[in-house]
Amino acid sequence: MIPIETSGLTKYYDDLCAVDHLDLSVGNEIFGLLGPNGSGKTTTVLMLTTLLEPTAGSARICGFDTTREAREVRSQISYVPQEMAVDAKLTGRENVALFAKLYGIGGRDEAVDRALEMMDLAERADDLVRTYSGGMRRRLELAQALVHEPKVLFLDEPTIGLDVAARRKIWEHIRTLRSRGMTIFVTTHYMEEADASCDRVAILDRGRLVAIDSPAGLRARVGKDVISARVTGTITGRSPGGVELLGTRESGEIVFSTDHGSEKVPLIFRWLEDQGVMVHSLAVHEPTLDDVFLALVGSRDEARGFDDHRFRTILRRR
Amino acid sequence: MRDTFYYFERDMLRWVRGRISVISALIMPAAWLIFVGLALPTTFSEHYIDFITPGILVLTMLGASLQGGSLLIFDKILGFLNKFLALPSSRESILFGKILFITTRGLIQATVILVLAWVLGASLLSPAGILLSYGILALFGILLSAFSTTIALYLSDHDAYAAFNAMVSMPLFFTSSALMPYNVMPAWLSAIAYWNPVSFAIDSIRSLQEGVLAWTRIGALGLLAVLVVSFCIHKFRKVTI
Repeated sequence: MIPIETSGLTKYYDDLCAVDHLDLSVGNEIFGLLGPNGSGKTTTVLMLTTLLEPTAGSARICGFDTTREAREVRSQISYVPQEMAVDAKLTGRENVALFAKLYGIGGRDEAVDRALEMMDLAERADDLVRTYSGGMRRRLELAQALVHEPKVLFLDEPTIGLDVAARRKIWEHIRTLRSRGMTIFVTTHYMEEADASCDRVAILDRGRLVAIDSPAGLRARVGKDVISARVTGTITGRSPGGVELLGTRESGEIVFSTDHGSEKVPLIFRWLEDQGVMVHSLAVHEPTLDDVFLALVGSRDEARGFDDHRFRTILRRR
Repeated sequence: MRDTFYYFERDMLRWVRGRISVISALIMPAAWLIFVGLALPTTFSEHYIDFITPGILVLTMLGASLQGGSLLIFDKILGFLNKFLALPSSRESILFGKILFITTRGLIQATVILVLAWVLGASLLSPAGILLSYGILALFGILLSAFSTTIALYLSDHDAYAAFNAMVSMPLFFTSSALMPYNVMPAWLSAIAYWNPVSFAIDSIRSLQEGVLAWTRIGALGLLAVLVVSFCIHKFRKVTI
């Protein structure tokens, strides 16, 4: 049974295409959906969790159709939206117990204890959530989602707004869940996190799938090395042979990909100087998912301008 | 059905632990009772507080029910609704949970108002009359809380809901029989007031003061409640984000 499968999954908001013929097949893995704001990540998750009806195409979760067999789908999954919705006036245990009751699971108290334990919240379980930190609240949401032992877990931006230590901890927990056989579908825009923890990632741009592979596989597509340059001035003309200009990062850095990076540094330096561009620094490093993203999608905002209309329409509609 | 109770339990715990909102909701009806019920120089009634008490009880339910719609607005804005909708439990239990909580809260507030009215000198109904009044208030609460919760489902933020609330609550109250009997109203107002659902509830309770069961008014209220709740169930079942 394939945990998540979509074919031609499409969503239009009026004439705006939020998700465009998405074909995915997700196995027992941590699957990351990456993309800039407004690329259709959340819309995809909402369709997979039966909260939004696709305009065309279909999706199946553990063999159940998300529109015709919505109820069966809902009993296989858990969904944690990005908003961090836990009741501050209830205790941690009460928050998890609510979901245990609503899922109608047997052996409720043990299941609640187990979920809290798994998320390292047992000690603070009887404190009001008001006193919890952001990371603890997120883990509490995971405990709510885990209490009925779902087959597929959907996490929308699980580490957004958390500090570095809390993020690391969330990902540790996510990896533990995968090792217990759960399928985890996660959206994020933190590339390093996806790189470190996802088995496979898909990159979405304006609702369209532009790449799908393991993080290592994607990095290999960029080339052996990446050179980033901090410069003043405008670049014109073609890059020298064996060097590909990937684009400009949000920080203003210009990024090239090449084989044998350190040998190409003098070549790039001379090429930039010849155009009258002042070079402040050149650095060679191994490609990251950020570089892949730059190569496939372009700079997130600046290269094509922030699409305000698209962003607002998608936000308003969900 | 059990799920309804779980949703109810959640809202109840949050309300009881909120403290300030428990008191604040009582201020307005109490002010009406004291400043209008005791102070207004009326000519059509010897004992105006007896006349206005049913109106204020229904006003309390009206305010509580319309205010209750904002619970769903917050669930929606804060992401709770999405989580609830993704659960395998039936979606109308979310609606029923809100109806149960909002109506219960309204009845608790109405009880405080009833005691206050008695302290201020209103004459008390017979035990059976009080019981029937509660039944009528509950029916009215169910009607209005189903309505406001379903409206909330379709409004995007709290400002929009506050605007809806302001637009609906005062006109409904002033075009009802809460403040004066039909025979002293201008003709145009009495026609509107007679068909206002708020008057259905007020008139039903008022006739209990005379020991009469106003079946047509109670029936009208019940029929409307059945229609509105069925419509709301239908809307909740097929809701998407």
